[in-house]
Amino acid sequence: MKALTANRLDDGDVVFWCEGRWVRRFADAELFAESGPAEAAAALARAQPTVVVDPYLIDLEEADGVLVPVAFRERVRALGPTIHPDLGKQAEGGAVIRAMQAATGAARSAGRLGLIRKK
Amino acid sequence: MPTLIRLEGGRAVIAARDPFAEAPLDGPLPDGPAVLMPLARFQQQGPALLDEGLRIGVLLQPEEAVEDLAYDLPRLSMVALNLPKFRDGRAYSTAALLRQRYAFKGEVRAVGEVLREQAHLLARVGVDAFVFADGTTPEQLEAKLSLYRHVYQAASDARPPAWAERRS
Amino acid sequence: MYRYDQIDRDIVADRCAEFRAQVARRLSGELSEDQFKPLRLMNGLYLQLHAYMLRIAIPYGSLNSAKLHRLAHVARTWDRGYGHFTTRTNLQLHWIRLKDAPDILDSLAEVGLHAIQTSGNTIRNITSDPYAGAVADEVDDPRVWTEALRQWSTVHPEFSYLPRKFKIAVTASARDRTAVRVYDIGLKLRRNRDGALGFGVLVGGGLGRTPILGQTIREHLPAQHLLSYVAAILRVYNRHGRRDNIHKARIKVLVQSLGAEEFGRQVEAEWRAMDHAAVDLPDDELARIRGAFGAPAFEARPARSAAFEAAKAADPAFARFARRNVVAHKQAGYALVNIALKTPGEVPGDCSADQMDAIAELAARFSFDEVRLTYAQNLVLPHVALDDVPAVHARLAEIGLATPNLDLASDIIACPGLDYCALANARAIPIAQQIAARFADPELAEDVGELKIKISGCINACGHHHVGHIGILGVDKRGEEFYQLTLGGEADGDAAGDRSRLGDLLGPALPYARVAEAVEAVVGAYRRARAPGERFVDTYARVGLQPFKEAVYADAHPA
Ligand code: SF4
Repeated sequence: MKALTANRLDDGDVVFWCEGRWVRRFADAELFAESGPAEAAAALARAQPTVVVDPYLIDLEEADGVLVPVAFRERVRALGPTIHPDLGKQAEGGAVIRAMQAATGAARSAGRLGLIRKK
Repeated sequence: MPTLIRLEGGRAVIAARDPFAEAPLDGPLPDGPAVLMPLARFQQQGPALLDEGLRIGVLLQPEEAVEDLAYDLPRLSMVALNLPKFRDGRAYSTAALLRQRYAFKGEVRAVGEVLREQAHLLARVGVDAFVFADGTTPEQLEAKLSLYRHVYQAASDARPPAWAERRS
Repeated sequence: MYRYDQIDRDIVADRCAEFRAQVARRLSGELSEDQFKPLRLMNGLYLQLHAYMLRIAIPYGSLNSAKLHRLAHVARTWDRGYGHFTTRTNLQLHWIRLKDAPDILDSLAEVGLHAIQTSGNTIRNITSDPYAGAVADEVDDPRVWTEALRQWSTVHPEFSYLPRKFKIAVTASARDRTAVRVYDIGLKLRRNRDGALGFGVLVGGGLGRTPILGQTIREHLPAQHLLSYVAAILRVYNRHGRRDNIHKARIKVLVQSLGAEEFGRQVEAEWRAMDHAAVDLPDDELARIRGAFGAPAFEARPARSAAFEAAKAADPAFARFARRNVVAHKQAGYALVNIALKTPGEVPGDCSADQMDAIAELAARFSFDEVRLTYAQNLVLPHVALDDVPAVHARLAEIGLATPNLDLASDIIACPGLDYCALANARAIPIAQQIAARFADPELAEDVGELKIKISGCINACGHHHVGHIGILGVDKRGEEFYQLTLGGEADGDAAGDRSRLGDLLGPALPYARVAEAVEAVVGAYRRARAPGERFVDTYARVGLQPFKEAVYADAHPA
């Protein structure tokens, strides 16, 4: 499974794709079972350079019955800094947030290639 | 035909016509009174063509050394500096050397990925002709060039650095 | 504190106006992200994991109360009420919105602060000795020369699109507090036998993927030629530094490939061909800059303060603070008071807006309105009367910043790491917190003595792990956070000589959960092996890696 994420241009906030819109919460993200629709969504996202920066697809895996991002980095993006549970999206709480906080273990590093360029 | 904007007496002016016809690395020379050619071709044919009275501009790539032109500079009408990417800052040093070390009086033209947001820096190191890749107009160029009321360093332009302004 | 004149103010204001227009062009789509990114970077704006990050320059680490109050105000108004001081004397705000950035920069400009060239392939904010103007062993005030460099490098027409970032440090004291050898250019101001001021010029230092210590290319550059000589170095680098591979684009790679001698020869040739008078500042401008710093009006005070001594005798906590964090001043009856932003449990280098305000008030009241920022992500009140140190300490204790741990195991340098940074492999801050917790007992920390732990969340080495006594580097192993330990690094020097060296790799990387206990094991091995008076790095230099390896990996399953 995959989700599509980016940072919003005007405020930098982490956003996720949901049926043509961008949503702030990973819990609201559209989940793609097939790579075709996922790639199609990514192409649409790339055509919105005044809305988001660097959209990309992330891999998901199941943790406690909830789909969460595989890469630890992506979980941190979807949550907020681990050292400040009161800051970022995690402050809102909820089942998906809790599942992401609990998810550990083999997170394949997805999409870290070429990051030095992205910074 | 890309627009050529020249700085003339503090104003940015669209050149009605660019007299320089571009010559490739080899093959026949284009007709006309003035030719812009790559450094390698100039090194082969340039001096002889200059003797024939042709006006020549040399196109320098960022990795090409302006020192290689030093001897012929007084006879050149123009040096064009290619910025293959706007982030490639080598042309800035080349321009500074042309103006400050070799006192080159001809046109220094920026070509390639030349964008408005770098124009004031290019002008300060000595570029006085721009072929913009982003459609910048003379008015926009003038606005950019007058944005900073002061500068901290002496460069190729006549602007006094802050320390000189402070004295007066 | 250098006081801006109208020209300085205008330049910062014009830069703000320029960036405001660039942001507008980006938001409207007129500028692409590719075109805009170098522009936002050279105005200090990164796109990080959660938001934009704004890196505000604190030139040579010097702040006054107005500036610090303003930083607090900005953190409160446009961020989440705190900021992160870095090893490079910048302040980072981690929750910035692009659309607010122009207003933030305008607000900063009102007090002479800016974010110009705190990122991008430019000459970055220049660092210097945080103790400048306050210690006896400096040959001249390095801030005068650093300010000259700051002005010269600001919006430099020739050197704004370098192959890669470019960092300069200036020190004027035998005791190096700037890590001068890890800089692209390190400048050591000294007097030669004739008493003439000159710079020892080091080039090609840098950490990151290829850590290298800077090498001297000029023993004694007459001080008045500083700018032209630096310009010559930059020109050689700008022309010949690699641009084909971002990992090989720093000046250190050019210096390595040419050899320091040949590189120095090219610089000398370039420098001799330059018109020095067009670049170097005339004496009257240097004098003007010197004057614009002003000098604190110290009072004649006895070298010994009865109030200070009485407080030490009465309060063991204060005595410990005085021993660890208070440093001798050149002026009798005064001291430098270090404020460690390293309270165990907190984030190294972080400071809340309320703490900033409180420190600004202390500076205004007790330190001739000056605060400095150090390489180790701490603050200093540079000119405090000894009589006032107890009051300063009491107030610091109230705001949770009186930890007496300067240069001790819990005084850890840590980069933001994977909690914030888009480039990170692993977290740095929680590792620092776990280690600090193990050395929170002040008795233990003092017994362990000087121990500089430095943590980076990736190979970019913003946490300077290569030169940590214990260096910790976050790496990515199959998507999990792992950490490599290095031992014996140092970025220090004093009158006896330069001691800088890069640490040695201890062994296989350790998982997140094992790092703090491994550091504790390393420290345990040191305490068993040390000879009287030896610091950790001294013992390490004598006994080598083996005892530490055994201590850490003895009962470890291969990671
Ligand atoms: S060392 Fe790496 S993780 Fe840490 S701040 Fe620098 S780039 Fe980010």
